[in-house]
Amino acid sequence: MTLGDTAAEPLVHIKDFRMDFGDTTVIKDLSFDVRAGETFGFLGSNGSGKTTTLRALLGIYQPTAGTLHIGGKPFTPQDGARLGYLPEERGLYKKESVLDVMVYFGRLKGLDKNHAKTWSRDYLERVDLADKATTRLDKLSGGQQQKIQLGVTIMNDPELLILDEPTKGFDPVNRRLLMDIIEDQKLAGATVIMVTHQMEEVERLCDRVILLKDGTARAYGTVSEVQEQFGGTVYRLTYTGTVPASALYDIVSAGGGHAELSPNPGADETAVLRELIGHGVAVKSFTTARTSLDEVFIKVYGETHDMAEA
Amino acid sequence: MTQNTSTQIPSPAPAPATPPPTPKRPFAGHNLGTVVEFEFTRTVKKRRFWIATLAIPVVMAIVFALIYLSNSSTAASADAQKTAAMSFTYTDASGLITPAIATAMGGRQASDLDKALQDVKDGATDAYFAYPADIATQPVKVYGQDQGIFDNGKYDAVAKQLLTASAQATIGSPQLMAAASGDVKTESQTFKDGQPAGGFGSAVPPLMFLLIFYVSIILLSNQMLNSTLEEKENRVTEMILTTLNPTTLIIGKVIALFMVGLVQILVFLTPIAVGYAFFRDKLAMPDLDLSTLSFEPGTMLVGALLLLGGFTVFTGVLVAIGAVMPTAKDAGTIFGPLMALIFVPFYAMTLIISDPHAPIVQVFTYFPLSAPVTALLRNGFGTLSPVEATIVIAELFIIGFLILRLAVHLFRYGSIQYSGKLSIAGTFRKHSPLSGK
Repeated sequence: MTLGDTAAEPLVHIKDFRMDFGDTTVIKDLSFDVRAGETFGFLGSNGSGKTTTLRALLGIYQPTAGTLHIGGKPFTPQDGARLGYLPEERGLYKKESVLDVMVYFGRLKGLDKNHAKTWSRDYLERVDLADKATTRLDKLSGGQQQKIQLGVTIMNDPELLILDEPTKGFDPVNRRLLMDIIEDQKLAGATVIMVTHQMEEVERLCDRVILLKDGTARAYGTVSEVQEQFGGTVYRLTYTGTVPASALYDIVSAGGGHAELSPNPGADETAVLRELIGHGVAVKSFTTARTSLDEVFIKVYGETHDMAEA
Repeated sequence: MTQNTSTQIPSPAPAPATPPPTPKRPFAGHNLGTVVEFEFTRTVKKRRFWIATLAIPVVMAIVFALIYLSNSSTAASADAQKTAAMSFTYTDASGLITPAIATAMGGRQASDLDKALQDVKDGATDAYFAYPADIATQPVKVYGQDQGIFDNGKYDAVAKQLLTASAQATIGSPQLMAAASGDVKTESQTFKDGQPAGGFGSAVPPLMFLLIFYVSIILLSNQMLNSTLEEKENRVTEMILTTLNPTTLIIGKVIALFMVGLVQILVFLTPIAVGYAFFRDKLAMPDLDLSTLSFEPGTMLVGALLLLGGFTVFTGVLVAIGAVMPTAKDAGTIFGPLMALIFVPFYAMTLIISDPHAPIVQVFTYFPLSAPVTALLRNGFGTLSPVEATIVIAELFIIGFLILRLAVHLFRYGSIQYSGKLSIAGTFRKHSPLSGK
């Protein structure tokens, strides 16, 4: 089976999705699409329902209500879709050797034994684990096991790659390597859905994002659109004096001679500068910057401790 | 935090290109074979498996070797005793001993009891036997020089042999002697519905299914329980559930485990077969006369179906337990009592054989977890009627199928319940995220 946007629907289509766990509603009403070939960021604080949504999309959970389609229909593994899923709860057969496990999953995903073996050895070479092919998985470090799990995820050359916090547990060097591998998949034409708390990864890789809060989408669109929606630009200045409150802007941060101001609708750089100077602020430098996704995230979730948990 | 330009993470040193897409086989259909191969291979490749599997035949081989050596030694010793002249004296108050036979065996009659005893004490003779006036009510007293616990038995043997040989000589008829000692053989033939009944020979073959049932459950049950727990404990379930149908996984595991069981049974039987074929006499193994066994097709078919149905029920139950419980330790609390259930019918074995219509036997016959053993026993001893056999077989297959379906259902949802016990009712509740499709 070949995945891809159908005439009627994009590759992934979620509409009016609701998920209850007993009396608790995790997802209230969620609708979004993922188009073939794009890299889609699925963002939200811990417990916001990202993993639940993915599990429902993949048929692991039964949705309370709504439509969750991949390639125009509910997903079942028997369809033979070339899908790669890296779950949040990682794990492989720990008592088995790296190569045995990779070949096993390769065969389950439709590869022939020899090709699964060849592919696995090439992959291990790439991620510097060639000497671990016959090592038991539980003898590897957590990061090394993550690499194996990613390899298992992509070894069927997936058309749809779903990654739930792919860089969790990686050191910066390996994170970079992993992101390169994901980027390769993207360049090879795979559609990627990525759950992550690493905003630089989102800004680097994602075409579009969705932000989940309280079981609904709080933001949905391209990265630029979301940045624009939640503040768009900020003014960064160095100064002496006291930054006054004003209807022209919100003070994002101020102190120590540095401040970040978020302009309100209708306010431009000139108006803000006049306002500051008019109140006796000695402005030494003034630059305009776009709101980062980190900042958008904080703005949406409000509390910084959420971020710390993330 | 703000940014003026988009941040690019530098690429690492050039890495080999991602391997090209590889040719693929059709996705569905081949996974059962892949699962069976993986599960079977990874089990039999483990050193631990072979240590556990070989431990029993190795112990058996050691025991056989000891028996072999012991029997060889005993035979040599017996031969030596036959040829070795043992000097003894005897006194005969009964008048039953024939002096010529005693002399031929190396004995001579003593006239003085005290001197005869003293000769033994002094080492002048090996033994002294005092035959009482009435051997029916009084013991023959045997005195001898100590030759060790085992060799001292020869004095009793010679004393009895002398008495027996003398009695035979007096009676003068081997037939009378055999009749008097009860040393006669009988051959029985019974009839059922006008036809010769098979007797014990017809009970043995169907009872082999009971043996196979016990061996397979005892050997494989723990592996069945752990095989599904492993996916949960290793957090591998989500990868599995998005890659293949859980039914395929469960069936593949069961088939692989059955194959593992066959390997184990083969390994266990090998030393017995080798011993029987080549060292039967030395190992004192009974000479099996297979011609007396009667293989009745109907009984054998019922036995095979009961075995298969019982195996299905227990497999389903064990997989379901593995799916519900979060860890092997938790599963063990249920596993123990469950295993005890297959032994419970043996407490009522006499009743099962002698009074198959007793209420307790009927309960054991139809209760799914005790039914396989009870019905197999009754089938072996010919007390399971065709109607009862049909009902039990149908019950086992239907319940086994339903339990396996339930086990797959629970595995599907229980295996992502990583930290707690799964609520079985919850998986069937309407609108529950764990409810089946």
